[in-house]
Amino acid sequence: MNLKATIGMETHVELDTESKMFCSCEVIESEEPNISVCPTCLGLPGALPVPNKTAIEYIVMLSLGTNCNITNEGMFHRKNYFYPDLPKNYQISQFDFPVGINGSLEIVLDEELHSVEIERVHMEEDTGKSVHEGSGRIDSAISTLLDFNRSGIPLVEVVTKPVISTSKMAVAYIEELRQLVIELGISKGKLEKGNLRFDANISVADENSNELGTKVEIKNMNSLKSLEKAIDYEIMRQSKQVEKGESVIQETRHWDENKQVTISMRTKEGSADYRYFSDPDLPNMIIDQEFIKNSKKKIQNLPTDKRKTLKESGLSLSDSNYLDKGEKWLYDLYLSTVENTKDSKSTFNFLTGELQGQMRKAEIDKLPEWVDSEKLANLINLFETNEVSFTSAKDILAKLLGEDIDPKSYASEKNLIQSSDDEEIRALVTSVVKDNQDIVERLEDPDDKLVGFLVGQVMKSSEIKVNPGTVKEVLLKELFG
Amino acid sequence: MSENFNIDDVSNLASIELSEDEKAKLQKDLQIILEHVEALKNVDIKDEKIDIHPLSKVLELRKDESKESLKHEDAMMNSPETKDGHFVVPPSIE
Repeated sequence: MNLKATIGMETHVELDTESKMFCSCEVIESEEPNISVCPTCLGLPGALPVPNKTAIEYIVMLSLGTNCNITNEGMFHRKNYFYPDLPKNYQISQFDFPVGINGSLEIVLDEELHSVEIERVHMEEDTGKSVHEGSGRIDSAISTLLDFNRSGIPLVEVVTKPVISTSKMAVAYIEELRQLVIELGISKGKLEKGNLRFDANISVADENSNELGTKVEIKNMNSLKSLEKAIDYEIMRQSKQVEKGESVIQETRHWDENKQVTISMRTKEGSADYRYFSDPDLPNMIIDQEFIKNSKKKIQNLPTDKRKTLKESGLSLSDSNYLDKGEKWLYDLYLSTVENTKDSKSTFNFLTGELQGQMRKAEIDKLPEWVDSEKLANLINLFETNEVSFTSAKDILAKLLGEDIDPKSYASEKNLIQSSDDEEIRALVTSVVKDNQDIVERLEDPDDKLVGFLVGQVMKSSEIKVNPGTVKEVLLKELFG
Repeated sequence: MSENFNIDDVSNLASIELSEDEKAKLQKDLQIILEHVEALKNVDIKDEKIDIHPLSKVLELRKDESKESLKHEDAMMNSPETKDGHFVVPPSIE
């Protein structure tokens, strides 16, 4: 039996607002606990929530960015469960009237575009943070410490339909969503800071079956690497069970980064167990056309638009996607440089390979002010037209990163310009062939390693830089006709 | 729906411990409520405007401005146990 995996992703995006979702406490990043809290986000009795307008604008922008239909008359629900990081015993969330429904997100996988269908985009609030005290093992904790600075920070949950088939596709989806929230300016999008947190719902079934297998939810994946590994592990675990004829239990499992396995946490609650009901503190939320129009105005360059522009410059889809997902300065630099070089591939290779490599080595994350697209384009053109060798181009770049030079003048000054003058090279070749008759006699064919030796001799005999490609061409013509 | 109703599940989800007498009484009361809900399902509402929220008032949104929060000492003052600025609760592992 051939099996197929089906994956649905649930992603929580922490919005980058000044204040929290339902109170005016400042959103802070602090190690000091419980310093940005109030009766509302501490869940004290009698406190009333008042929603943050900017957070609603941001979720509308994200819904539009994922091609969702906007629910004009929405509402908030209470999702009831008991856990100490949620002291009012319910989370304000959305149930059957989420802000965005039925959307899609275009992603790039290798050289292909795929569309991931989005089921819903809804608004909710974050919980506090728990630290378990004890011997270090979570199951032998002696007490739990609570910090509510995070409690009430606006969160958007983006849920896909079960349409993802591999771990690589899930990673590409998260990368795309991350880029989208960054471009929209609605979240910092830092995975290591928990700005994006994701769970995966995974099932395995016979590839010929129209029905999905039993769904298992995987939590606690903190990086794209652990997401990929956890999905691969879980597909393998479930496949083994299905192949043995055993049934998969519907449950929530936790990814154990140290053991590199998923571990059962608890039997999964159904949505009925959360006893959702409309929050009586929060009347209907009207998102009218005017509000949508104003939110739309704030959307500038979406990742799909950027990718299109890059592709139009001549780059492949995967190279376009690479720059699309990279830092903004590199994207801007590429576009202004390629305008002057008209050579997309070599510009891409030079900027993402050599330039970024040298910057990393020199430990600089910002280009010096004198390094602009014009100078870089001149440098790329110098080696693309064989005026300087690639090795010389690398040296010129290193110099340019240290001081303000003109690449071409510097190349002339340092005698790095290669001659492609055929007459000059022919004279050098003739002289080298004459002086190395013993080698020439041993040559068998144009691919003989000794050809390289003779090219080297020509280069050495020249007082000026000559282009090795031209030397080889002239030499082969002289020797083999 | 009503035949699946289980008082033990509900008390467990609500974290409320019930005696056998209380269970019997609540089972009966809640069963009646569920029957009322069942009866409501039979009302023909296809031509009615859907009111999705009990209040007709529209939600007011607040400008995204932060204001001073509670002082840390005030936030912690009613907690029976604190440590390093945290609230301390019995070990709670999901």
